[in-house]
Amino acid sequence: MRNWLIFLGMGLVTFLTRYTMIALLGRDLPPLLQRWLRYVPAAVLAALVAPAALAPHGRVQLGAEAWAVAAGALVAWRTRSVLWTIVGGLAAFWLLRILGVTVGV
Amino acid sequence: MRVCARLNRVKGFQRGVLATMPLGLGILAFGLLYGMVARQIGLSPVETLGMSLIVHAGSSQFVALGMWGVASAGAIVLTTLVVNLRHLLMGASIAPYLQGLSHSHKALLALWMSDESYALAMAEYEQGQVSPGYFLGANVGVCLFWWAGGWLGGLLGVAIPDPAEYGLDLVFPLAFLGLLTAFLKDRHHVVVALLSGALAVLGALLLPGKWYVILAGLAGSAVGLLLEKVWRR
Repeated sequence: MRNWLIFLGMGLVTFLTRYTMIALLGRDLPPLLQRWLRYVPAAVLAALVAPAALAPHGRVQLGAEAWAVAAGALVAWRTRSVLWTIVGGLAAFWLLRILGVTVGV
Repeated sequence: MRVCARLNRVKGFQRGVLATMPLGLGILAFGLLYGMVARQIGLSPVETLGMSLIVHAGSSQFVALGMWGVASAGAIVLTTLVVNLRHLLMGASIAPYLQGLSHSHKALLALWMSDESYALAMAEYEQGQVSPGYFLGANVGVCLFWWAGGWLGGLLGVAIPDPAEYGLDLVFPLAFLGLLTAFLKDRHHVVVALLSGALAVLGALLLPGKWYVILAGLAGSAVGLLLEKVWRR
């Protein structure tokens, strides 16, 4: 029973973080806030990519992950396709692994 | 007209679900890993699936498992809140596109929002396609993979190799990278992305949990505003 109560608590706070802003921000946003929010996706997505590439294990390193993401960036730029970016990046990662480039630990 | 609108919504939903397919292997692998770890720390198969169904937030579920049995219930719930605070920022940026929807529809869209489905939906909105069906479809697609992986992992409860060993953890940054291109419309956005990336690396090294996403997301986007003042497009 205790476990299920924890799940419910976790689910509730998770929903709150997702719903609060969607519920609060309505039609009449100040123009400044609107313009600011338009930069958020680029900033957030870059923030989700860079550490996974350059510091995948808690320290900065130019390992297979970094080169694979660099290859993915090239594919993303040329194709703008999520699928091909994933395929290209993973192919580069596996190739580097076969060639013996270390994956940081 | 109403039939037409309904059909568009269904089509949007289908496209949203389909858009999550490239991510499927990565989500499934981490779902399996989650299920396996959950069984190891003593959750039953039903509880393992239950947590995914109720919480459906991958990162915080892994963090919670790490605290299970050693931390209080309150500490686990509070940590979940902190790990998911980044969704406030994501919610704020997608909110303008959800204007005009009813509260129950907004709540439904918020319920299953993930980093991945947020990114997919924002890229769609950025291209001028307004379809809440697509957003819902992307949410549901990600959730289905997550639930299926967790359910299987919990059922099997056996050791699977670390997904990172096969680079499957890279599926997520690679997908975000593919979607990022939709937002690099001008040099302001390019600078914002580069700066946020650099800040995020620094933040990931120095800050606990997912604070680096919030830090880089807030600071990077604020710099975008400043750039508008000093540097014309």
